[in-house]
Amino acid sequence: MTEETTDLPIVPPDSMLTNMLKAIGLLRESPVGMAGGLIVLMFVVLAIFAPILAPFDPNAPTLPFAFPGTASPDGGVFLLGTDHLGRDILSRIIWGGQRVLFYATAATVSAYIIGILMGLAAGYFRGYQDEIISFFANVILSFPIMVLYVLIIAKVGSSGLNIVFAVVFASSPGVMRIVRGVTMDIATRDYIAAAKTRGEGSWYIMLVEILPNARGPLIVDFCLRMGYTTITIGALGFLGLGLPPPDPDWGGMITETRSYMTGGFAYMAIFPACAVSLLVLGFNLLADGLREVSLRD
Amino acid sequence: MSDKNILIRDARRYMLATDREYGAEIHSYLPELCNQLKAKKIERRDFLRQACLLGMTATTAYAMADVLTGDAPIKSAMAATPKSGGTLKVSMRVQEMTDPASFDWAEKSNVARFIVEHLTRTQADNVTVPYLAKSWEASDDLKSWVFHLRDDVTWSNGDKFTSADVAHTVNRWLDPANGSSNLGLFGAMVEEGADGKKRGIANAVEVVDGQTIKFNLKQAALAMPENFYNYPTAIMHKGFGKDYAADLSKTPIGTGAFKLTDFSIGERAILKKERDWWAGPFYLDEIHYYDHGEDTNAWVAALASQQVDMIYRLPNDAIETAKRLPFVNIHEATTAQTAVMRFRVTEKPFDNPKVRQAIAACMDHQEILDKAFKGLGQIGENHHVCPIHPEYAALPPLKQDIKKAKRLLAEAGYPDGITVEIANGDTEGSWMTDACAIFKSQAAAAGITININKMPSSQYWEVWDKAPWGYTAWTHRPLGTMVLGLAYRKGVPWNEVAYDNPAFDAALDDAEGTLDVNERKKKMALCEKILQDDAIIPQPFWRSVFKASNKRVKGFQTHPTLYHQFQDVWLDG
Amino acid sequence: MPQMILRRIGMMVLIMLVVGLLLFMINEGDPRLIARSVLGPYAQDGQLDAWIMQHGYDRSMFIRYFEWVARVVSGDLGDSIIYKRPTSEIFWPRLANTGILAGVTFVIMVIIALTLGVLAGMKEGSPQDRIISVISIATTSIPEYASAVVLAGIFVFWLGWLPGTSSMTSGFNVVELILPVMVLTLYGFGYIARMTRASMAEVMTTPYIRTAILKGLPYRHIIMKHALRNALIAPFTVIMLQINWLLSGVVVTEFAFGYKGFGALLLEAALRRDIFVIEACGLAAVFVAVFTQTIGDIGYTYLNPRIRFK
Repeated sequence: MTEETTDLPIVPPDSMLTNMLKAIGLLRESPVGMAGGLIVLMFVVLAIFAPILAPFDPNAPTLPFAFPGTASPDGGVFLLGTDHLGRDILSRIIWGGQRVLFYATAATVSAYIIGILMGLAAGYFRGYQDEIISFFANVILSFPIMVLYVLIIAKVGSSGLNIVFAVVFASSPGVMRIVRGVTMDIATRDYIAAAKTRGEGSWYIMLVEILPNARGPLIVDFCLRMGYTTITIGALGFLGLGLPPPDPDWGGMITETRSYMTGGFAYMAIFPACAVSLLVLGFNLLADGLREVSLRD
Repeated sequence: MSDKNILIRDARRYMLATDREYGAEIHSYLPELCNQLKAKKIERRDFLRQACLLGMTATTAYAMADVLTGDAPIKSAMAATPKSGGTLKVSMRVQEMTDPASFDWAEKSNVARFIVEHLTRTQADNVTVPYLAKSWEASDDLKSWVFHLRDDVTWSNGDKFTSADVAHTVNRWLDPANGSSNLGLFGAMVEEGADGKKRGIANAVEVVDGQTIKFNLKQAALAMPENFYNYPTAIMHKGFGKDYAADLSKTPIGTGAFKLTDFSIGERAILKKERDWWAGPFYLDEIHYYDHGEDTNAWVAALASQQVDMIYRLPNDAIETAKRLPFVNIHEATTAQTAVMRFRVTEKPFDNPKVRQAIAACMDHQEILDKAFKGLGQIGENHHVCPIHPEYAALPPLKQDIKKAKRLLAEAGYPDGITVEIANGDTEGSWMTDACAIFKSQAAAAGITININKMPSSQYWEVWDKAPWGYTAWTHRPLGTMVLGLAYRKGVPWNEVAYDNPAFDAALDDAEGTLDVNERKKKMALCEKILQDDAIIPQPFWRSVFKASNKRVKGFQTHPTLYHQFQDVWLDG
Repeated sequence: MPQMILRRIGMMVLIMLVVGLLLFMINEGDPRLIARSVLGPYAQDGQLDAWIMQHGYDRSMFIRYFEWVARVVSGDLGDSIIYKRPTSEIFWPRLANTGILAGVTFVIMVIIALTLGVLAGMKEGSPQDRIISVISIATTSIPEYASAVVLAGIFVFWLGWLPGTSSMTSGFNVVELILPVMVLTLYGFGYIARMTRASMAEVMTTPYIRTAILKGLPYRHIIMKHALRNALIAPFTVIMLQINWLLSGVVVTEFAFGYKGFGALLLEAALRRDIFVIEACGLAAVFVAVFTQTIGDIGYTYLNPRIRFK
């Protein structure tokens, strides 16, 4: 969900690092947020250490249709079974997680950079800059998001880079709106006027004096957006517009194996479906916890 | 005495009467054919097919085969009495249906087949029998063919069916302006014009009288009757594309018993029987085709929930599901359906034969068949001629050879390996991606990195004849020469490889003009070898196709090309 | 107030014009591409040029754009390339189908979401609240494609209760609507429920509700008569915005169940480059989204006294 969450209090600027630590400390007070954080952390660890943690080569066809727990020919065990080509599902989920997290992060971070720059400019300069940027944001946001993705991907073709491009195009206006709101509020404060009289450049003021104030709502929104981008990448894979095979991505894994579900091999599609739902749940819980904590603050 | 025994008795008399010249008055080659079957030099199915092509009636040919091979006639089990009436509902894509001559999908012809019909009919067992043409004869050199048309057939608008209709239809195919793929199919009636375009030769179609038509060829061709039963070869009314627009869905005038009462692309095609069929009873009253979209899971779900009685194709990944449905019959047909990982030989780096040979040498056909298609087919041999084709010649088996691949790659200037991209649209199902994925893992050993460019199937059909490397599906055709002529002869519309090899063209012409089965096999071996050595089409496997129908559908046989022939189909309950 | 409505409507028209321009530029910017789509992959260059001249595509894009706007406004959407028929013949029935699917989903989703949201927000922090909140987050984390597969597996193949496709081949059939509605509702209700809960919780802490409780009025009476009306103002906007999300979900869900709606039509058209159908679907999707958004804004202003009397 990408609706703005501007109902957050504005925290005065402080060192980025201590704040992060504080946030993690505070998260302890929200069991829901903590659970979400742990889920996300688990997937991040799995992604980073995929080469060590994945028991098999995710693309190597070995023993097709092995049920979970079957012993592999070379002595290991297919903990989650193999798919219709004999590829280890656990390894594919781990590597697929790496791929999904990589593209989701790349896309969301890029959307943030662009959205933040646009939001700062619109909120700080106001006037015609604001009018133009806000108008185009409104135009893009008026597309139902999946319709926009289908239009873009069908036009430019499906590849990792194009998916990143589409996500940036579709979700940076949402980020822009949040940043714009915060910027408009902060720009009227005294210390910003002080900075202006000191003769600081506009972009210095925006990036150093104003932006850190927006981090509260932005971090919450970032988590939600990561979850939604994860869903999107899977949905594109499901519609046949996703990341190129045979490297695994969870949405693609569901599509590839869902016809075997009813033939008695339901686990093939259910495990990746669980993986994608779990990661999204992690992001959503984390966002919820962070919001709860920051409101309590 | 059963009907079959009477036939055999007649066949014996017939053979005696012609002094063991076995049908020489039909075609001079028939006695030789009979002797070969008797001496077991050729197989029964080869005999049946060829005897029928040469004009022998199917009943005589079957009976004669029984006599010659000494097989005891097997009494066919007493089938239940067919019931008339009812509506057959089929799940299939409903596509545009304008000009049958430019059909590119069997699905289109399946709807059209109950409205417009063909000169001949190839049965599920690959034997071609009379249809709108009641008989035919070929000259000894196979260069002129006379077809005698039935005179009891009328068009749905009341006109009598005559040779004018056939002449009009065939001339439309041969006119390059209509862009019919039949130009490739009927190569023996086609020449290259001054502008480089294929066109029909002069006087190719000759109307002898109202019910007789003659085709004059520039070279021998045996498969003429078979070619008349291809999906773009329906015979149209003589006014089609002349007196009224060439759009069958708007002006469905045909010789068939059915009328198109509702047609909407992507949704449904409703056919209703509106008159008696000239060829006998047609049990079904209505045939409904419903379009359930691209997603094959939706087709199976429609069958499972009994929304439809039959699905056009049972995707191989749904066989397990279908087996669990107690009310469903699964039909398997061994076919020459396949897909080839074809290179476009004009594009870098595939213009270098060594690169192609290196990639082809990495292929372990059996592993791809076993894993990507659960072993439900036969391995391919990179030459697009199938063991079930009558002219198939066995070549030494291909072996995966990684060392050879590495050596060839180094010679081609890629000692450190090469990265290539294959376009794939999963046009026939997700097994195509699976096959690419397994081949990718095989080729990795030789330092060849294959990237799979997975695209939507409709987009694949936009680039299928342009992509430097692509995985293209080809449907079953009863003859190997038919496929090779359509796909690899210089300049034909479907030459997706951009293949231009005079030696191959000559070898193919030679094989096509040879009647003797064993001689032809030898000549085909040369064609096959050329294609294999040139490594233009690494071909993992031939696949069986499956259909699934509700058990209440009786009398249905799966045609290897998935053509719908419902003349014997009836519904029980 | 009327002035504000007029401004909103003006904005809506402007956005539609720009969206139209974007769609037009993407789809009809390059005349050769249109000619290629219409004439197919086998057409020669000369045929393309002839077609472009014949249909006036050699003129400036802006002239063509204004002509196009005039045509679209008059209801002429061009001819579909796949279906070889006027786009409007295919498009309107499809849109109506989606309207049925989305409408039914919407009603069910809103009823479930508001009920759960109010139940949770009535007693913030209670076990009832916790359970409903977790369910709302969890269901919002299961994408439509995951639930479509699992639900179809359970209800079609395992239990055999429901038909597996929703293509309505033999006329409209309510049973075929169940699975798509289930999938869309499952994914969509959580967000509205959470917003309602937050709004309800806030209302419950306001002085007048507390006073009412202290006065000893029946709890049920307080909730129904006093709390609900105020608590439902904030979710109203969210609910209207949710229609935009519903249209997204419709694309995936219609594909999964073979439902003949506009989402499936858009997907097919986009994949097969049926440009006039893409334009029609894109415009319709944006129109519905912008329209509901505008209604949401106007309604919110109207309902919320704090804004109205400012």
